[in-house]
Amino acid sequence: MSEQAEMSEQGKVTWIGKPVPRREDRPLTAGAGRYMADIEMPGMLYMVVLRSPQAHAKIVSIDTDAARAMPGVHAVYTAADLPEELKPFPVIWRPPVLKDDSIAALASDRVRNVGEEVAVVVADTQQIAEDARELIRVKYERLPANVDPIKALEPDSPRIRDEWDDNVAALFPFRNGDVDAAFAEAAHVVDGHFKINRHAAMPMETRGVVASWDALTETLTFWSMSQAASLLRTELAKSLDLPDNAIRVMTPNVGGAFGAKWDRYAEDLLACVATRRLGRPVKWMEDRREHFQSTVHAREQIQDWEMALDEDGRILGVRGRAVADLGSCVPSSGIGTQWVTGNTIPNQYKFENYSADIIAVLTNKARAGSYRGFGGPESNFPMERLMDKAAKELGVDPAELRFRNQIQPEDMPYPTATGMAVYDTGDYPGALRRALEMVGYEKLREEQPKLREQGIYRGLGIGCYVHCTGFGPSAMLGMINYDTSGYEGARIRIDPGGKVTVYTGMIPLGQGTETSLAQIAADSFGIDMDDVRVVWGDTSQTPYTGFGSGGSRSNLAMTAVMNAAEQLKAKMIRIAAHTLEASPDDVEFADGHLSVRGVPDSGLTMPEVARIAYLAHSLPEGEEPMLQTQQVFDPPGFGWAYGCHVGVVDVDIQTGMMDWKRYVIVDDCGPMVNPLIVRGQIEGGVAQGIGGALLEEMVYDEAGQPMTSSFMDYLMPTFHDVPDYEIDHLVSPSPHIRGGFKGMGESGVMAPAAVVANAIVDALAPFGIEVDELPITPNVLWRKLRDAGAFEDGRSAASVG
Amino acid sequence: MTGERKISLRVNGRQHELEVEPRLSLADALRNELGYTGTHLGCEHGMCGACTVWLDGKSVRSCLMLAALADGAEVTTIEGLAPDGDSQHPLQAAFSKHHALQCGFCTPGMIMAAADLLQQNPHPSEEEVVDWMGGNICRCTGYRAIVRAVMDVAESGAAPPASDPEPEPSSVG
Repeated sequence: MSEQAEMSEQGKVTWIGKPVPRREDRPLTAGAGRYMADIEMPGMLYMVVLRSPQAHAKIVSIDTDAARAMPGVHAVYTAADLPEELKPFPVIWRPPVLKDDSIAALASDRVRNVGEEVAVVVADTQQIAEDARELIRVKYERLPANVDPIKALEPDSPRIRDEWDDNVAALFPFRNGDVDAAFAEAAHVVDGHFKINRHAAMPMETRGVVASWDALTETLTFWSMSQAASLLRTELAKSLDLPDNAIRVMTPNVGGAFGAKWDRYAEDLLACVATRRLGRPVKWMEDRREHFQSTVHAREQIQDWEMALDEDGRILGVRGRAVADLGSCVPSSGIGTQWVTGNTIPNQYKFENYSADIIAVLTNKARAGSYRGFGGPESNFPMERLMDKAAKELGVDPAELRFRNQIQPEDMPYPTATGMAVYDTGDYPGALRRALEMVGYEKLREEQPKLREQGIYRGLGIGCYVHCTGFGPSAMLGMINYDTSGYEGARIRIDPGGKVTVYTGMIPLGQGTETSLAQIAADSFGIDMDDVRVVWGDTSQTPYTGFGSGGSRSNLAMTAVMNAAEQLKAKMIRIAAHTLEASPDDVEFADGHLSVRGVPDSGLTMPEVARIAYLAHSLPEGEEPMLQTQQVFDPPGFGWAYGCHVGVVDVDIQTGMMDWKRYVIVDDCGPMVNPLIVRGQIEGGVAQGIGGALLEEMVYDEAGQPMTSSFMDYLMPTFHDVPDYEIDHLVSPSPHIRGGFKGMGESGVMAPAAVVANAIVDALAPFGIEVDELPITPNVLWRKLRDAGAFEDGRSAASVG
Repeated sequence: MTGERKISLRVNGRQHELEVEPRLSLADALRNELGYTGTHLGCEHGMCGACTVWLDGKSVRSCLMLAALADGAEVTTIEGLAPDGDSQHPLQAAFSKHHALQCGFCTPGMIMAAADLLQQNPHPSEEEVVDWMGGNICRCTGYRAIVRAVMDVAESGAAPPASDPEPEPSSVG
């Protein structure tokens, strides 16, 4: 066996639970991965996009004559050139409170953000296309721009959509219990004004497409890095007036996505239009500057929350409002992320009274869509900050306040205060207890005052989190007006030689899909992982999946694989029984071997049964030849993962710089399929969370010009910015999923912002500084320290501009 | 735009003569003219390190260098890093063992940078690894797994030392 497995006590080969190195790695480390930019075809043309340099302007005129005249240019398209073909992509998540909007492929009379698509050039080479783009002349008449979501709420604020009464795309109210009564009887009320910064998924590979129209067969082959290939195919079919079965969406290796490649984008449609008109393959690759301007941003919310508590510090209710900046149009996910924010505010805590207004507003910035965590980090930050504020108000330790309020294991399943979520399983206090134990919480608390005397400002920050995984039951998606399905399918074919091929609709984005599904399939049949191949990335072969990769849904695909394997095992048992002249009830299937119970040496191997099934010379009455099946799994409920992070930081009060001392993580994603992959997902998620908390922000000036358009001004975490991750696990299986697996792709990113902020506030407790706005840069901290009088006792402070 | 220029590049031990526009980057020449697509472009402004290759044995950002300026140089890309065609460089195996890659897009640049470090300094401290690798961005792993992989190779002493190799010619697809 090339990959390491273990024999269990029963002698069965088991792969599930083993840290198997990924089969994806050999080609990727050799530079043999095939990403979108690597796809080339004979006769290929190259498309580039002319984007708006204005945040908000009327388009007065567009002159494309010089560009069209350039040798090597095949076409220049503006909205006026494609009146019939530019059917916009609809929004997928459309609650009734959301106003109608759509994603237009090219601006016609008005641009609404810097980076909006105005024209495309298609030419023989990328260089010619770029040169020709320089020759297009667009006259704009500038309009006042909205960059501040709160100002965009004002009645006289510049309007983004003329057909709307205001800039509000949606107001979604959460109401449960009697929140006003809870506040009336509260012994303590704490509140906060929170800013969650606009930042972005920022995968290392930008977006791109290759579209190839075959006029003779009237079929379109569309290479895409979309996380939602089936959904994209359906949307393209509608937009292009083609049947679904005329479109084949192929996915190459994808260089990271994290939500940013889930949205539908203008370039998808434009490349299809171009290849249909020109009859040649058309490729478009985004450059990094374009990525900053036109791939979805995320997270930006301005929030006000209040929490009511009784004398003992038990939460009585929470109320507030979150204003989310969607940018210049409603993203494919609608107000999905913001809804999740509202729905996860209760976090791990027991209370019943809740009221929240989730307000989504348009501004003249890039569209804000999905990013790992999908609304979760945006609720975790304010809620975990409120917990620390409440602890301070009551004079109790922040860990103790959490223990007093956490939902207990015996409360499960627990319907939360939003009235729209039911947690399935979990030991929330157990995770907190374990994290405190790992970090040595009590000792650190004892050391803290002594360290302060030495001028070392050390702080501890706790962040408890929940993570809604296996997204989600289709009927539930219907109830929340999500215009797609949540199930996941798997097809398994055992070939005539007895080897297994698994077909999945999941799109691998770096999460180890091939390896983990091969582990599941190998265990299901009790065979070597090398005997399992996993096929993905071709809608003509792979199962339909309405949702796509995202939403931490691997566990659904795994269940589908297990169910499909069960079907084939049952069929092989029937065929073996027929051949061995035994009753199927007496035939057992173990380690890829079928034998009559009690006579283990007398049976058939999988290859032998496969040969019988394919030859079909002697099958049981009514048995269909071959060995193939497809199973679809629609989960009956969500699997809620959860956990607790504790961070320890030192803050240099002279500079506002912070240093990681420790970072402890206790996560519960149910049983782990591959602990190596789980660790990688957690570490990567935490790093992204830290980036959003300390470094990353999409900055716009007052005119709506992006100030962050390169990695020189948008800082992502590097090797220097991350702590050592100390990780442990609890295991609470989900009752909804075969094997009990919960998703874990997004749990790491939930809590870091709260951990960072709570730790810094704790470190700077002598100065009474609160940190409720992200990102927390040294500049911000230094100013807060200065304002708090930290430098007034004669200690000189370094000047920071 | 004007005037193609003849250059010669020795890539992974194989000699190439090509005509390039003066504005063509080394990265584009390697990828588009010669088919070495293991060299990836993540930012095209020298900030992410995904395009790291070796020029005359030292790591460089191939997106920031013009192909014409590399005339006459010996270039090593990820495809040519393994000592011979069939086996892996120890770092390639260590990256897999420690799950130091997820999407794999930054990985060729990471490995080329780390391999350069190890040939110059076969036993770096963890701090030296972090400092050296600080110019390469990874969005997936959170970096520590990469540090573990590089330290594993550093501690085992398995990385080949710097030399003036004359590797066997190898072809690329």
